[in-house]
Amino acid sequence: MTWETVIGLEVHIQLATRSKMFCGCSTAFGDPPNTNVCPVCLGLPGALPAPNGEAVRLGASAALALECTVHERSVFARKNYFYPDLPKGYQISQFDEPLATGGVVRFASPDRGPLAVSITRLHLEEDAGKSLHDRIPGKTAVDFNRSGVPLAEIVSGPDLRSPGEARVYLNALKQLLMYTGASDCSMEQGSLRVDANLSVRRVGDDRLGTKTEVKNMNSFANVERALTFERERQIALVEGGGQVDHTTLLFDAATGTARPMRSKEESHDYRYFPEPDLSPLVLTSDWIETRRAELPELPEAKRDRLMSAFGLSPYDASVLTSDAVLAEYFEAVIAAGAAPKTSANWVMGEVMSRYNQDGRFIVTARRLAQLIAMVEDGVVSHQAAKRVFHELEEAGAGADPAAVADRLGLLQVGDSDALGGWVDEVLAAFPDEVGRYRQGETKLIGFFVGQVMKRSAGKADPKKVQPVLREKLGG
Amino acid sequence: MTIRREEMLRVAALAELGVAEEDAERLARDIAAIVEYVSLLEGLPVEEGVRPFVPGPAQVRLREDVVAPIPLAHPPADMAPEFVGGLYVVPRLGAMEGE
Amino acid sequence: MKSVADIAAAVREGRVTAADVAHDTGVRLAAADAAGLNATLHWSPQLLEQEATRVAAGTSDGLLAGVPVAIKDNIVTEEQPTTCGSRILEGYRSPYNATVVERLRSAGAMIAGKTNLDEFAMGSSTEHSAYGRVRHPLDAERVPGGSSGGSAALVAAGVVPAALGSETGGSVRQPASFCGIVGLKPGYGRVSRSGLVAFGSSLDCVSVFGATVADAASLLHVISGPDPYDATTVDAPPVAIPEHRDHLEGVVIGLPRECFPDDLDAGVRAACDRTVARLRSLGAEVRDVSLPHSRYAVATYYVINPAEASANLARYDGVRYGQRRGDGVDLPTLYRATRGEGFGAEVQRRIITGTYVLSAGYYDAYYTRAQQARNRIAGDFDRLFREEGVSYLFTPTTPTVAFKAGEKTEDPVAMYLADIFVCAVSLAGLPALSIPIGRSEGLPVGGHFIGPALDETGLLQAAAVVEQAVDGDAEVRP
Repeated sequence: MTWETVIGLEVHIQLATRSKMFCGCSTAFGDPPNTNVCPVCLGLPGALPAPNGEAVRLGASAALALECTVHERSVFARKNYFYPDLPKGYQISQFDEPLATGGVVRFASPDRGPLAVSITRLHLEEDAGKSLHDRIPGKTAVDFNRSGVPLAEIVSGPDLRSPGEARVYLNALKQLLMYTGASDCSMEQGSLRVDANLSVRRVGDDRLGTKTEVKNMNSFANVERALTFERERQIALVEGGGQVDHTTLLFDAATGTARPMRSKEESHDYRYFPEPDLSPLVLTSDWIETRRAELPELPEAKRDRLMSAFGLSPYDASVLTSDAVLAEYFEAVIAAGAAPKTSANWVMGEVMSRYNQDGRFIVTARRLAQLIAMVEDGVVSHQAAKRVFHELEEAGAGADPAAVADRLGLLQVGDSDALGGWVDEVLAAFPDEVGRYRQGETKLIGFFVGQVMKRSAGKADPKKVQPVLREKLGG
Repeated sequence: MTIRREEMLRVAALAELGVAEEDAERLARDIAAIVEYVSLLEGLPVEEGVRPFVPGPAQVRLREDVVAPIPLAHPPADMAPEFVGGLYVVPRLGAMEGE
Repeated sequence: MKSVADIAAAVREGRVTAADVAHDTGVRLAAADAAGLNATLHWSPQLLEQEATRVAAGTSDGLLAGVPVAIKDNIVTEEQPTTCGSRILEGYRSPYNATVVERLRSAGAMIAGKTNLDEFAMGSSTEHSAYGRVRHPLDAERVPGGSSGGSAALVAAGVVPAALGSETGGSVRQPASFCGIVGLKPGYGRVSRSGLVAFGSSLDCVSVFGATVADAASLLHVISGPDPYDATTVDAPPVAIPEHRDHLEGVVIGLPRECFPDDLDAGVRAACDRTVARLRSLGAEVRDVSLPHSRYAVATYYVINPAEASANLARYDGVRYGQRRGDGVDLPTLYRATRGEGFGAEVQRRIITGTYVLSAGYYDAYYTRAQQARNRIAGDFDRLFREEGVSYLFTPTTPTVAFKAGEKTEDPVAMYLADIFVCAVSLAGLPALSIPIGRSEGLPVGGHFIGPALDETGLLQAAAVVEQAVDGDAEVRP
């Protein structure tokens, strides 16, 4: 491998506010087009921006989680260009004095192990509207509901060295941002978007090659695909004696390829200048320190703590801390009295697969702890407990698992009289097998246990069935 | 410093301003005169680190995060040159999107 | 024509009804239109009647009860169109009211109509309106000044007692001077810009015209104060109406020598000299002072203002509102036809100049330098008011009386220099006003008073003292 790939990512996240960055319109997703609009976000004559303090707070929290320096003074600027979904003809952003600079994201690279990728800057800006090219034949339609939605742009240094590493970086970044609550980071709803810069150079070369920008990737997997495509394209180009042009490419997920935008449209001269409608954003050091103090425990710290406090494996601790809410649930189950290892298995199994579907917990942590205790005590079987778990969704998250198990007839029977009855029925029904067992074919015990379970409709406690069987078969 | 017609037209294109052929010469002359006048500022030394003057408040006032839009007395459709099915309509942008 | 205070008192006490005032205003507006003043863009007897009905239905105890106020047509109103004197906004109706319009109405005022202006407030003569030039009320061959020429002409002609204009670099003080009325620009951020169509955002101020200082003060009191819709409004209570005073003891008036050049028009100089003598006799201490950077003011202004304007006018793209041209081909054609055909020559000049000074390679040479010059210009004022004990500054408002129509339209720089004394104040964001201080060859001369930030009340009080002592209608001879 004689080529080295150099990747930097620009990630836009939607800050989780109720109202837009510069006006009181709702940020709700999925409303009918052009209903969450007002004079400000439509760019009507005379309308002025009024900045949202919560967006500033969330942006600062995100920056602090990325270990950035949050500046006491930052400046909004106008970025000028024409596009039909940009209502004012400029985007309010930050340019030479951004909210925050100089951070880092730490994660385990699949290629290089523990890695710290630098964050160049985090700045605040407003989103544009949405251009729809497939609604009206021959026309472009524009919806301004997104216009003015608050964004933070997070720019990494050119520190990533492979498409796979880029993908892991994105996972780590998303995890951090979701921990802070700054954004819900949903790519489906457009609240996380990725643009990538990629160049290649020969191993050992200090100079960076000419980079291209790749846009329009709608999942982390597609970021990896697009960058892999672009890396191979650039290498083939250079090896064939060609030169990389500084262009912007759009990824097409259907074909797995990226093709250049028309060069005319990208020769922008944005003519940034300080936004005269907004005085500088001034934050006191006290305010910044308060935001720092408010930060929740971040993934790395939480992972280490779960390992040392509960003896979890690094793998289990990583899975459980992949999501702050999941980790919080896990700790609540333990707090309610369940054993850590069993709790971890439950949370990583039934709980997580359900949570990943819709972000809900169908059983409260306290009830799950009860259910785990019921299995430990032999009140229900592990299989029955799983059924109870899912039944609890119908019954409501707070329903009593014991009552549900009882209603479903899943409580295990350990009572020797009842067990004896089922055992007698089974032995009577299978005289041949009884004979073979008594001839020494003792592995048939499993067969008898199964038959007892079947006859008891799963209610017999399997641990208690065997002694009763042995006693009657031996007698 | 003088500004030629081509330079003026390049800047006008950046501002998406169509300039009629018969106006271009006069406009270039006017812009050149204005730019020449404001070049008076070259007499002032530029200093590092001098911040721009900020009229009004020294720091921006922040708003609470409350959904309270300025109401529209009449809907977007009433103002729009072309509006179909709740959407503003412009000529197709395929070229700009690279499609 | 009665004063603001007289009309409001009469309406409050029930001596006249708002409907009577509205009717009489309509008669005067119709007469002004018939006389060819061309000061109005939109008004109607029906809307005036509607305003009167609203006043009658409300608690008519407001400071401006039943007072008809004309509004410059770059301030948005729901009922009337808002065109900014431009083809590009022909037929545009705003779906919201400017904050100043809401505040005027809350105080009982009636919106008399929308007034003509230089397109998007770009100009100093109100010749650059897509709807024709405004005539000077005293001499139809002359300009009323601008860009708020329509509002100034209506007040000067006695059609309305007061009007709103807007200032970016003298657009109220200069026409007030030309028309012989009071024109007051508050300090930047004292009055909400929400609903004032943006031109030079760091300079724009809604400003007022009145026949007298007291009339202007009443309006400013009503419209000033912080507004959640404008993040650049300063956190200070509305401007208080000054107490009556009859002397200037203890007041220090500075005369910036840069504003009294050797080539100053002789009539203007004579009126100023007479006023300075009167200031002394009223007890003021008068001092020569200097604003050393003011010679850069017009150049600075004509970098910052077009730069901001080029961005502010980008929204007129034919997509969401206003006129659209060149549809059916592609988007660049639509943009360029809409903007090329919709904007007049002066607007195009400013947009191109502004785009040029902000573009790559030129930014530092022009914009960065202008920002630093602005700092120095503001610093000059700051030094006088804060360190040298100057209370207010006095200068001529304009270098000449009202000039003839067409005289400067071919030479944009000459037109810009008509604002030489007023635009430094705009760059510094300070309050200032022009009052009539005499006439030269029958045309009004304005005297310009400048105050420190947040001292509008003191400035108005001092100006009111001068107003009583100086006969603004008297002919002065060099």
